[in-house]
Amino acid sequence: MTSLPFVLRRLGHSLLVIALTYVFVYAVLFFLPGDPVASRINNPQNPIPADQAGAILEYYNLDKASIEQFWISVTRLFSGDLGYSLATGRPVADLIQQGLGDTVALAAVALLFTIVLALGVALGAVFAPFAPLRKLFAVLPVLALSTPGFLIGLLLLQVFAYQLGWFSSIRDEGVKSLLLPAITLAVGVNAPIAQVLIQGLRKAYGEPFVTVLRAQGVPEYRIITGHVIKNGSIPAVTLLGLTIGDLLAGSVIAEAIFSRAGLGFVTEQAVRAQDGPVVQAIVMIVAIVFTLVNLVTDLVYPLIDPRIRTAPKPVAVTVAPTQKAAVS
Amino acid sequence: MTDSTLVTSPASAPFRRFAPGGPTRRAIAAFRGGGRVADAAAVLFLALLGVAILWPGLLTAYDPLEATPGTTLAGPSLAHPFGTDYLGRDLLSRVVFGTSRTISASLLAVTIGLGVGSLLGLLAAYFGKWVDVIVSRVIDVLLSIPGLLLSMVVVVALGFGATNAAIAVGIASVATFTRLMRSEVLTVTNLTFVEAAHHIGAKRFTVLFRHVLPNSYSAVLSMTALQFGASILWIAALSFLGYGAPPPQPEWGLLVAEGREYIVSSPWLTLLPGLVIVLTVLSISRINSIFSSTRKD
Repeated sequence: MTSLPFVLRRLGHSLLVIALTYVFVYAVLFFLPGDPVASRINNPQNPIPADQAGAILEYYNLDKASIEQFWISVTRLFSGDLGYSLATGRPVADLIQQGLGDTVALAAVALLFTIVLALGVALGAVFAPFAPLRKLFAVLPVLALSTPGFLIGLLLLQVFAYQLGWFSSIRDEGVKSLLLPAITLAVGVNAPIAQVLIQGLRKAYGEPFVTVLRAQGVPEYRIITGHVIKNGSIPAVTLLGLTIGDLLAGSVIAEAIFSRAGLGFVTEQAVRAQDGPVVQAIVMIVAIVFTLVNLVTDLVYPLIDPRIRTAPKPVAVTVAPTQKAAVS
Repeated sequence: MTDSTLVTSPASAPFRRFAPGGPTRRAIAAFRGGGRVADAAAVLFLALLGVAILWPGLLTAYDPLEATPGTTLAGPSLAHPFGTDYLGRDLLSRVVFGTSRTISASLLAVTIGLGVGSLLGLLAAYFGKWVDVIVSRVIDVLLSIPGLLLSMVVVVALGFGATNAAIAVGIASVATFTRLMRSEVLTVTNLTFVEAAHHIGAKRFTVLFRHVLPNSYSAVLSMTALQFGASILWIAALSFLGYGAPPPQPEWGLLVAEGREYIVSSPWLTLLPGLVIVLTVLSISRINSIFSSTRKD
């Protein structure tokens, strides 16, 4: 199965990627021309008083060399200090803690919808009784891929909140108010998964073992539920792990439309205020979650599919052939 | 997936009533005819967008920025097919004049992604060793941040605006191109004719640009078309959030964002520009699939 050296190598690789991502994001946000700290202090619309500006300048050590600043930020990171928001002055850790729960709940519900939706569409596209119906199902992911996420959200809001009045667009109604944003996220995210699943199911359904099972007299639905889905959904499961990042990124738009105060909302505000430290922290959280999920998927892969003992290239599914396959 | 694979797909195997000449087969034939209609519609729609970019005055008689106070938030009518917005500006003319902004921004984004991405992929695959190691780590880093978030990071660094949003989306799509180009070039580099070219004594760069590059480009081109569609969506998303083109400009994503305020009373302000975005991206992917099926034949 998964050998220890392989696990260690993969773990080391993930840590390296996370470290390099930190360097990259830091470099983009703080090394590039247009220092966000300086531009925040000198913001003509909302200038910061001199004494506070002094504190900020001292905290960020702007008088020191870039490399030195970077080193200071890294040491602070390891002591649990994520820095302070440039826009509000609040600790970044607080802002994130506040929004994280909401967004994790949203992403979890959206992930559930994604699985249900992708499975439903793929089963319809491969096993629906009439060819035109199958084709209709196969076209759905293409349509979803061509529709901007914010349009899906606004449509849902218009129909279900304003026209039908089933949901409140402003009041927080607990779990109920999770539904529309979660569907918005799921529709956008499930399209590539559905496409890979369609391909996988088609391929599995053409394998000789299906003929053998049929010859044995196994009912068609048992072949599909018991064998074809198990065999055909493996690439899609891998892809499902990779969509975690997209769910978190997509929450920026979903939360903006449905006025939810999660991490996506914090991100939107931070980008609007060009609040470097907050953006950096959020991007790092998403990158870390994404890399770890990717790592776990890689390590679990041989357990799901015993045929693969050696390290497979995790993303056997490149975007191009997938989309090409479904865009007909 | 072409139509022929659908008909011969294993899924239809157990359903014997789908035999040739049966009623379902005729329905499929009709549906295939529908496919050709869709092809034609896609070409027509993109041609219309071309007109909107080159001669926007042909499609609309109104100034996209001119406010007429008397006709604010008018519904779609003959005079204003898309209705008017909260300042009484004709929405159709705003969509038409916005075409060139959105399309040129996406073009810039794809050019950056394709140029930088395929160059990196080419170098990594052809020179291998440490070049490949560095490029591969760069891809890993870029891919570990979701595209939309990555473009937001770049926007924070560069500042807001249509061009900056386009650059950001371009940078966010570099990794996709690099990864594809790298794998394509790796495949071609190991083919015998490339080896032969080396043995004949061709210089490294001659082999790279005369032999390897032309033979590894078709998948990347197909990817370019898809990424073009994706760029339109990303740029629209960035301007929807307010990071792209500034407000008086008629950019598609911005039009949807402006319409959002009036979605209860005037839903067409949101839906019609949104529909144009969807149709554009759909048409591009349709055209791409036509081209990729002819390339395969």
